[in-house]
Amino acid sequence: MTEVKKEIKVSGKEKPKIGVYVCHCGINIAGVIDVVKLKDYALSLPDVVLAREYKFMCSDNGQSMIKQDIEAGLINRVIVAACSPRMHEPTFRLTCKEAGLNQFLFEQANIREHATWVNMYDPEGAYEIAKDHVKMAVAKARKLLPLEVQKVQVEPACLVIGAGIAGMNSALDLAQEGYKVYLVERTPTIGGHMAQLDKTFPTMDCSACIITPRMVDVAREKNIELLTYSEVVDVSGYVGNFEVTIKKKPHYVDQEKCTACGACAEKCPVTVGNEFDLGMATRKAIYIPFPQAVPGQYTIDMDKCIKCGICARLDVCEPEAIKYDDKPEFLKVKVGTIIVATGWDLYDPTELKQYGYGRYPNVITGLQMERLLSSFGPVLGKPVRPSDSKAPHSIAFLQCVGSRNFREGGNQYCSRVCCMYATKQARQYKEKHPDADVYIFYMDVRAFGKGYEEFYESASENFGINYIRGRIAEVSQGKNNNIIIRAEDTLLQEPLELEVEMFILSCGLEAKADADNISSLLSIQRSADGFFMEAHPKLRPVDTLTDGIFVAGVAQGPKDIPDTVAQAKGAASSASALMAKGEVEIEPYYSVVIDHLCSGCRSCQSLCPFGAIAFDEFRRVAVVNPAMCKGCGTCVSACPSGAMVQNHFANFQLNSIINVAIKESSVENGGK
Amino acid sequence: MRFDLIMSDNVEKYIKRKVYKSTSSRIAQKFVDAGLEKIRACINCGTCTGGCPSGRRTAYRTRSAIRRALTGDESVLKDIDIWLCSTCYYCYERCPRNIPVTDMIIKLRNIAVEEGHILDSHFVLANKIFYETGHGVPATGDNNKQWRDLRESIGLPPLPPTVHMHPEAVTECQELMKSVGFRDLMDNVERKKLQQKEEAEKNKEG
Amino acid sequence: MSEEKKFRYGFFLGCVAPNRYPMIETSIRAVFDHLGAEILELEGASCCPAPGVFRAFHIPTWLVIAARNLTIAEELGVDVITGCNGCYGTLRDAWYELQHEPEMKKMVNEHLAKVGRKFKGSIEPKHVVQALYLDMGIDYLKGFIKHKFKDLKVAVHYGCHIVKPSDKRPWDGEYECPTFLDEIVEITGAKSIDYKDKFMCCGAGGAVRTAVKEVSADFSREKLTNIRDAGADIIIDCCPFCHLQLDLGQMEANNIYKDMIGEPFKIPVIYLTQLLGLSFGIDPNLLGLIKNHDLKNVSPFIPVEPFLAKVKEELT
Repeated sequence: MTEVKKEIKVSGKEKPKIGVYVCHCGINIAGVIDVVKLKDYALSLPDVVLAREYKFMCSDNGQSMIKQDIEAGLINRVIVAACSPRMHEPTFRLTCKEAGLNQFLFEQANIREHATWVNMYDPEGAYEIAKDHVKMAVAKARKLLPLEVQKVQVEPACLVIGAGIAGMNSALDLAQEGYKVYLVERTPTIGGHMAQLDKTFPTMDCSACIITPRMVDVAREKNIELLTYSEVVDVSGYVGNFEVTIKKKPHYVDQEKCTACGACAEKCPVTVGNEFDLGMATRKAIYIPFPQAVPGQYTIDMDKCIKCGICARLDVCEPEAIKYDDKPEFLKVKVGTIIVATGWDLYDPTELKQYGYGRYPNVITGLQMERLLSSFGPVLGKPVRPSDSKAPHSIAFLQCVGSRNFREGGNQYCSRVCCMYATKQARQYKEKHPDADVYIFYMDVRAFGKGYEEFYESASENFGINYIRGRIAEVSQGKNNNIIIRAEDTLLQEPLELEVEMFILSCGLEAKADADNISSLLSIQRSADGFFMEAHPKLRPVDTLTDGIFVAGVAQGPKDIPDTVAQAKGAASSASALMAKGEVEIEPYYSVVIDHLCSGCRSCQSLCPFGAIAFDEFRRVAVVNPAMCKGCGTCVSACPSGAMVQNHFANFQLNSIINVAIKESSVENGGK
Repeated sequence: MRFDLIMSDNVEKYIKRKVYKSTSSRIAQKFVDAGLEKIRACINCGTCTGGCPSGRRTAYRTRSAIRRALTGDESVLKDIDIWLCSTCYYCYERCPRNIPVTDMIIKLRNIAVEEGHILDSHFVLANKIFYETGHGVPATGDNNKQWRDLRESIGLPPLPPTVHMHPEAVTECQELMKSVGFRDLMDNVERKKLQQKEEAEKNKEG
Repeated sequence: MSEEKKFRYGFFLGCVAPNRYPMIETSIRAVFDHLGAEILELEGASCCPAPGVFRAFHIPTWLVIAARNLTIAEELGVDVITGCNGCYGTLRDAWYELQHEPEMKKMVNEHLAKVGRKFKGSIEPKHVVQALYLDMGIDYLKGFIKHKFKDLKVAVHYGCHIVKPSDKRPWDGEYECPTFLDEIVEITGAKSIDYKDKFMCCGAGGAVRTAVKEVSADFSREKLTNIRDAGADIIIDCCPFCHLQLDLGQMEANNIYKDMIGEPFKIPVIYLTQLLGLSFGIDPNLLGLIKNHDLKNVSPFIPVEPFLAKVKEELT
């Protein structure tokens, strides 16, 4: 770790001595414009005392160049003309800091993304733009003032939203490290979609067998406050200091008193479709989602309850746990980090009318097939077809349903897991019915993970599953509710018509229907595919662009269980790093009130989207909380008296840039 | 060991020497130049052929036609197969890559016609019937009298108020067809078809 | 000055309807007149041009001639109605393309200018069924029903170009399972029955019929087999070319595929407005349902008298 020098005092009142460093960035910049000429141009500008050019300013050598010049007292402002500040602003700021110069006396001119990369075939145009950027950076640098980073405490507690396999893993890891975790789950039980699966590929582990121990661990872990049947309704604050309001929905059953004996459900007269079994089985209005649910206490679905009072009778519920007058409870907690692990919804194929889902009874989704195969599912693991409850002699799967679809409104991405889950289900069906004909219609088989290709090979060789390369065009219903498939066997180049007794649509994964809610609650972005956006697709897969908020599991994009668990652990690790340090640095772009100009009108306070402005009743002036201010600039533009100044983006700094930008237009210099 | 076995029949029967020589596709380039580069997004999933009402009763394979266009197999322009598409548009509607498949087949037909590959029946329809009357199915002429009589029998004038009753409109259509290049196209096609016939004759004799 | 009627349309005739199945033309005129719509003639209109053949030969020619036809209606300031799926396909697709591709529009207008025309895109090409279902609406149509058919099983045939390409049609993207034509048929009391591959193409279009008739005849053989197996009394369609293919096509299938089909087909093929007109109480002569000639080799090739006999009771 480099030793940080004691900071050189710069008050902003002495003459600026600007050093400009022009980076070649290999051929990215130097391949388009003449960097030496640009360096000379920089040197010609007033207040620029030295200018250099180098192949890679971000390298150790490049950084040393800057440090040496600072330490020699030659410069007190640094400009690097190179890539986007989003790439290396932190790098160069640290360089300045290490050399003893306040890191906010640094400015980066983006002559790569903004000049050479977008004008690769127009070197003259690119050069003019690069000159402008350097000129503007110099104008700002003249007006830069030293600033101090904010340090805020990080609350050693984490909010994990979603208690599926991702959420549970993150929660357990963090809890075991000693942090307090609030694990919030919207449904009455933890476990998520993984609890609905029968076996997992490629090992054919029973999903319930591997997940229920984790579920029990979660329930037992002292550091985890498990809040099932609850939802996050408000989040405010900032990294290290989030204030979260959680709504605990009313169970109408006292969770302390309920012994989960099930007598109430036995007597309940209301039967409805069971969500866990995707409508293929029933539950009562008072229910637990499935036998191994954690927590195991009962809940009343008030939308379906007819309030007959039977369950509340003393001879039914001995512990007297029923409470019809239950109300939602609101809990306010303070956390330092948040992990979003909200999971996915299955694509609904009803809109693909050519496949008959919803019209023909023997067309089902992959998740419904999973429940049919499950040993605690609606048919106790002996799959039968919906129309006549008989085990079908022939079944066909269609891959890529609702995925890889470039039509209007379609999900363009590949859902990653369907090739494997269909192979798994096909194999399971063959194990139970070796004489059945099993077909998988595919465009491509994606068997990318550890053991996956071997699993696929075995499906063909050992189990005789027929893989037909051809996306099904349409199906119709024949005799006996059989499904008649029309497709092309593209490898034979022949159209085929195949009659099967049951048709399974391997539907893809989609972002949850209310992902927009989470987006706005937490101020995190969604990618074009609808899943939550990671900060960088390659290098920051678990961070979001909002500091302190992380994402894990399919909430970030379709993936299998191993990748989900890995990502959950990654998110926990990132959250833990933040909380372990105990404090986090916040950039000092906050606004400051010039008291004697403030008229006390409070326009700023009413407009601040982050609630960062308070009003000092005694002095009758606005006061900004630097830690909560995000530097959005709304108050600055709103203030009628010009009393609001934003650090690092003050009007006098911005005016300096604007004045110099419009003063000499490139047209005069013969540019394009 | 017999060395006098007649082998020539077997050579004819079994030696094919059909190795596909991949070249860049001139046809694909025509699509790109016409703004139809979307054809290159085809992943050969077969949805088009799978639902094709023609494909299941003829040798027409929608997907193969597109593939042949993309790989530069020029024989696709000469085959009758692409003319057996009834333009029902199911392939267009169902393609997961959102390729307007039917429009691609139509474009392929345009290219084929340009190069002189058109059925005689179609050529007569275009060059004579359509060009000369302005209708694809006319009611003028001696051989269509029964249709004019049929019209009259149900109370309609013998000819409809279309180009049939407005010779100046026929002329106008012909002006447009000349202007947009249809006339020249027909003349070129006629020449090319004649060439093809002559070559076919030559090959027969030889 | 006569009160301008609410529904005013330019009637695009096409080729097959006026020149081979004029009863379709006359029934459309009768029904629209009865519904209080004003029909204007599009004098000098030509072939649309037929999408399967002429668009296939030369797309620019197709676009220019189609645009010319649309300008005839533009000059009259009325939307176009056509009773033919093929003409609808051409006029609508050309109209759509010219609205969305300024380069195409420019090219077309350069040619049209030579004959003193200009395509503006100011009117909309509509199908007769579109005008009935979307402009007028089912409730409006119900108000004109005089006779309701009992026990009439109808095999409805939509054809292809009335619903596809769905992005250029007014049916909200529905093309797999449309219901609008069945709905119109059922207000007459007739029952629209389901049959295998109900939405399959008739096989006439796309230049197939003019390329190899036997191929198109196999399409209709398959369709007619399915219709017969479902027990339909009649076929209802909304396109003269489909109508030709399913009417004359029965004779062709009976001949070419006689070894496959068992009994020869003889299902009456009726155009939508003929059925609708009967239900409205319009004189069947005005709907082209009565044969008052003894011409040979003209349409309809499958007699419609059995249909008229079946519904005689309801009409008296």
